[in-house]
Amino acid sequence: MTDTHCPYCALQCAQRLHGEPLAAEPRAFPTNGGGMCQKGWTSAEVLRVADRLTTPLRKVVGDGHGDGGAGDSGDTVFEEITWEVALDEIAARVLAITAQDGPDAIAVFGGGGLTNEKAYQLGKFARLALRTRNIDYNGRFCMSSAAAAANRSLGVDRGLPFPLTDLNDADVIVLFGSNLADTMPPAVQHLGGVRERGGLVVVDPRRSATARLTDEGAGEHVQLVPGTDLVLLLGLLHIVLAEGLADTDYLSSRVDGVEDVRRSVAEWWPERVAATTGVPETQLRRIARTIANAAPHRGGRGAYLLTGRGSEQHADGTDTVTAVINLALALGLVGAERGGYGAITGQGNGQGGREHGQKADQLPGYRMIADPAAREHVAAVWGVDPAVIPGPGVPAVELLMSLGQPDGPRALFVHGSNIVVSSPDAQVVRRRVEELDLVVVCDVVPSETAMLADYILPVTQWAEEEGTMTGLEGRVLRRRKAIEPPAGVRSELEIFAALASRLDAPSAWSTDPREVYDELRRASAGGRADYAGISYERLDAGEALYWPCPDEQHPGTPRLFADTFPTASGRARMVPVRAVGPDDALRAEAPVWLVTGRVLQHYQSGAQTRRVAKLNDSLPRAYVEIHPSLAARIGIEGIEDIRITSRRGSMTAQARISADIRPDTVFVPFHFADEGMVNAVTNAATDPISGMPEFKVCAVQIARAETWEATA
Amino acid sequence: MKIVVIGAGMVGNRFADELGRLAPQVDVDVLGDESYEPYNRVMLTELVAGRIDLAGLTLPTPDSGRVRVRAGARALEIDRERRTVVTADGDFAYDQLVIATGARARLLPVPGLRDGLPRGAHVVRRLDDAREITAATLNATNAVVVGAGPLGVEAACALRHRGVDVTLIASADLLSRDLDPEVAAVAADGASDLGIRVVQDAMVSSVGVKDGRVDAVHLADGRRFPAQLVVLACGSAPDTALAAAAGLETNMGIVVGDDLRSTSDPAICAIGDCAETPSGVSGLVAPGWAQARALAASIARGADLELPPIAGSAMRLKAVGLSVVTMGVRASTAGPHDRVLALSDRRERRHVELVTRGDTLVGVTCVGAPDLAAHLSTQFDRPGMLPADPMHLLMGASAPGVTESASPTAMPAATTVCRCNGVTKGDLVHAWDGGATTVEALAGATLATTGCGGCTKLVCGIVDWLHATDPPTEADVSQASAGDREPNVPTR
Repeated sequence: MTDTHCPYCALQCAQRLHGEPLAAEPRAFPTNGGGMCQKGWTSAEVLRVADRLTTPLRKVVGDGHGDGGAGDSGDTVFEEITWEVALDEIAARVLAITAQDGPDAIAVFGGGGLTNEKAYQLGKFARLALRTRNIDYNGRFCMSSAAAAANRSLGVDRGLPFPLTDLNDADVIVLFGSNLADTMPPAVQHLGGVRERGGLVVVDPRRSATARLTDEGAGEHVQLVPGTDLVLLLGLLHIVLAEGLADTDYLSSRVDGVEDVRRSVAEWWPERVAATTGVPETQLRRIARTIANAAPHRGGRGAYLLTGRGSEQHADGTDTVTAVINLALALGLVGAERGGYGAITGQGNGQGGREHGQKADQLPGYRMIADPAAREHVAAVWGVDPAVIPGPGVPAVELLMSLGQPDGPRALFVHGSNIVVSSPDAQVVRRRVEELDLVVVCDVVPSETAMLADYILPVTQWAEEEGTMTGLEGRVLRRRKAIEPPAGVRSELEIFAALASRLDAPSAWSTDPREVYDELRRASAGGRADYAGISYERLDAGEALYWPCPDEQHPGTPRLFADTFPTASGRARMVPVRAVGPDDALRAEAPVWLVTGRVLQHYQSGAQTRRVAKLNDSLPRAYVEIHPSLAARIGIEGIEDIRITSRRGSMTAQARISADIRPDTVFVPFHFADEGMVNAVTNAATDPISGMPEFKVCAVQIARAETWEATA
Repeated sequence: MKIVVIGAGMVGNRFADELGRLAPQVDVDVLGDESYEPYNRVMLTELVAGRIDLAGLTLPTPDSGRVRVRAGARALEIDRERRTVVTADGDFAYDQLVIATGARARLLPVPGLRDGLPRGAHVVRRLDDAREITAATLNATNAVVVGAGPLGVEAACALRHRGVDVTLIASADLLSRDLDPEVAAVAADGASDLGIRVVQDAMVSSVGVKDGRVDAVHLADGRRFPAQLVVLACGSAPDTALAAAAGLETNMGIVVGDDLRSTSDPAICAIGDCAETPSGVSGLVAPGWAQARALAASIARGADLELPPIAGSAMRLKAVGLSVVTMGVRASTAGPHDRVLALSDRRERRHVELVTRGDTLVGVTCVGAPDLAAHLSTQFDRPGMLPADPMHLLMGASAPGVTESASPTAMPAATTVCRCNGVTKGDLVHAWDGGATTVEALAGATLATTGCGGCTKLVCGIVDWLHATDPPTEADVSQASAGDREPNVPTR
């Protein structure tokens, strides 16, 4: 019997694993309250999938089968090789490429599902063993906008700077683009108190499962036009300031930049906002007042303003989150006893994964790689000269789009990510990966990306390994080993150590998670995300420890910002932002908005969940949610396929006719590959500050698939 | 390049802001004759209504040192020979001059107003006007607003919101440029409901002045309305004085081409309310902003000017208590092949009207229907997006959906009860038949209630209902499964 946490999302539901075959059941824990969704209940199935990788594989060149067409992964043939051969060959090819084109010719792509230990070691492996600056990870697709905005305004980015259970006590919770009823169902429990008080506000172009939680007097659904989140926020702040609802004492004592922001919202009066967002002026005013009246300075119990990917995954995502923070600051919510701003982290270790060196510009502990003091500290922990550590690399989309291009990387290591399904404009990413000289993918199953690799290395997963994860609240959690991994499978820590030795890398390369974690603690000490005081012993003794926790006597920090902000001045900063609208705007040939998102049964690119029969049977294919009036326009009456086309590509999936979506918008979940892969259609335009791609909105044409085939 | 902008209003300020952002190499002086920082003129009636304060009107100022907004610098003369604008504070040389002087309020040529405005009479054009009107409401108990266009109606509603007794004088109908007569009547009823005395088809013959102060407004038909405050909202005219004095071609406004350059001098452009383009004078802020953006982009990139097409003009009233939104054409201006759909609900002071052309929504009129107006604004002028039956648009963003029954009896077997674990009512019935006859047992058998727990009440309801209709028997409990019963069939 082993107590651990679920392998999927950032809620990290507490699980108990037991039995033969191994099964998961929930246990009591604050975030999941003893609950677990279908994904969690079936999580042990992933340990036993039929195509589990158990031996290193090498792509066979010129196999003589099939037509050999590029990208025709159906014809790709792999041969089993030994670990020694795989590691020797990979190291030799890395050295050859590096000798020819320098270390930056090697790129590394990580994932927000890796444990803290693996994420930390991956960043170190890239910098010290591969000596490349070119590392980034799929968290760039999730949390980067929220992180950039929080760092800029509040001085630190911890998804929720308060425990999740605090939400229950507030008067108001506003969810800007979060569908947590599908993405982390047990979290719905924490909305209960607010729903009873009628204070749940859900901003979403769809009447999602979460939006439905506002029914029957529990709150309001704001069904705005896709891509207008920022305008809505500017309008709400306009009303708050115009109607004198702001917390002026708080603003004068704790916040800079108010005047510039006040001016920036003067142009967004309610009638103008209504015309752009489709949200009636009456509702705008009502919501602004509802939020304001929940603020402590107006006698309320508190309000939480929370963002999800719906408001963050835009080319102006950082500014959109900034606008949420501006609103929270104007109402004195940030650091209040009850209330504040938070981002709902998505991936299992989306929080820890963004703190310890997988990001192109960061070193462990949220240190900036360009900061000489930060380099010196980390170099001392690693036992190297600071000059050895490369400078900042480029963010994910830029990195992926540069693969195989002149002056771009020639080799790629992928860990915990399925980039040819999960990246924006994914068909281009696939072509880029195919142009590389060397692709090494570490995975547990032959994902779509693994099928493009020259070498696939089979690695341990979740119940087969020890480590730590940092949940959506910044609380560090223990992942524990319940069973032995299949014979032939190795942990990534072993792979890093083996390759580091073959590449003559400096520093020590432990394969023991606890030792790696202790090194992480030293590396993060004094950084913004300080883990120095959080030991395996304290966690195993059951302590609830939230970073920062600078020493072993420190109780951790469940709530940030109560007295000060970790900025140079100790004050928060309001930053004026401008609304520019989606990069890919509507036009005659693309008159419909496409938005993407998740379903309850699947996780990320679906590499795990599409292999679990119970989940896949519930939803084996992508679908297109479409309003009856739009469906009627293109001649769809029932269960038929719709083809969606953008400037970048096309996909096809079944229509699901529903009045829950706006009549000018279609929705497609992004967990699917092949013809149902919506990321063939999405836009790779990125936020200039965070590098976040604009997954959440682009202009498309839609047609009945049959009609399209007849005319194509 | 040296750029001088005359006029620091919404359009002039926006132009300077855009240009500063797009063109790092330019040097811009914005000359504003008011002593305030640039502010949002569109919101002046909101200031009167007290729904915003002075600080809330102030617009962002272009920050860099290269863009200087000079408040209180009134342009006295444009010297085209020397390419210089003369002000009391000195000369400003330009390579490119942009005139954004806006419009002036029109005055009524009637006795009482001929020698300038007496005390107590105001137009609503500048910040000082709005401040003075606001100050006057502290003492005035009655007011007359002359002119029932958008500005007049907004002003009347604002004053009424302040508790002033308001008479609104309309030369024809309310908002007659934007509304057809029968729709205007609905809006007039709405205004009357707010306590505004609406006087239509009226002509002002004179304004009574006593001791230098207004005391009444007299109509041609002899009616007299006492007034301690008179607000004149009789339209506006492009301010072309400087341009005309400099010898530029002017007509209604400063005549410019499609490139916004003066027909008389390519070094001079005009944008906003003062400009007369080949398609006329706009008088609204949105087209002025579009001109500002386009001109800034063209100058910054040295490229031809591309003015985005403006789809019909839109009017959105900002009036406390009265919602009127119009876009594009209306019944009386629709073409012979257009479809006009209308719902009128006069007693509720509500009227909604759509005009469609082919597959496009080309006209919207909403009185007393702000929710629908917001949705229709997002659907306006989008070719190809009109529903097959445009009547659906009158029902808002989401036509009434199917209401799901939360009653265990009426609920179809395929209805999902526990979303977290994908458990249907049929699955629960099946498990009941298999002997799981308590909530705990059903949870064990189906996992329902083990996610967020939100369905617990519903599962309890289903258990109660099953207890009533199909009580568990010894046989049921001992049976491993009810194999003879098909799952998911609503036998109950």
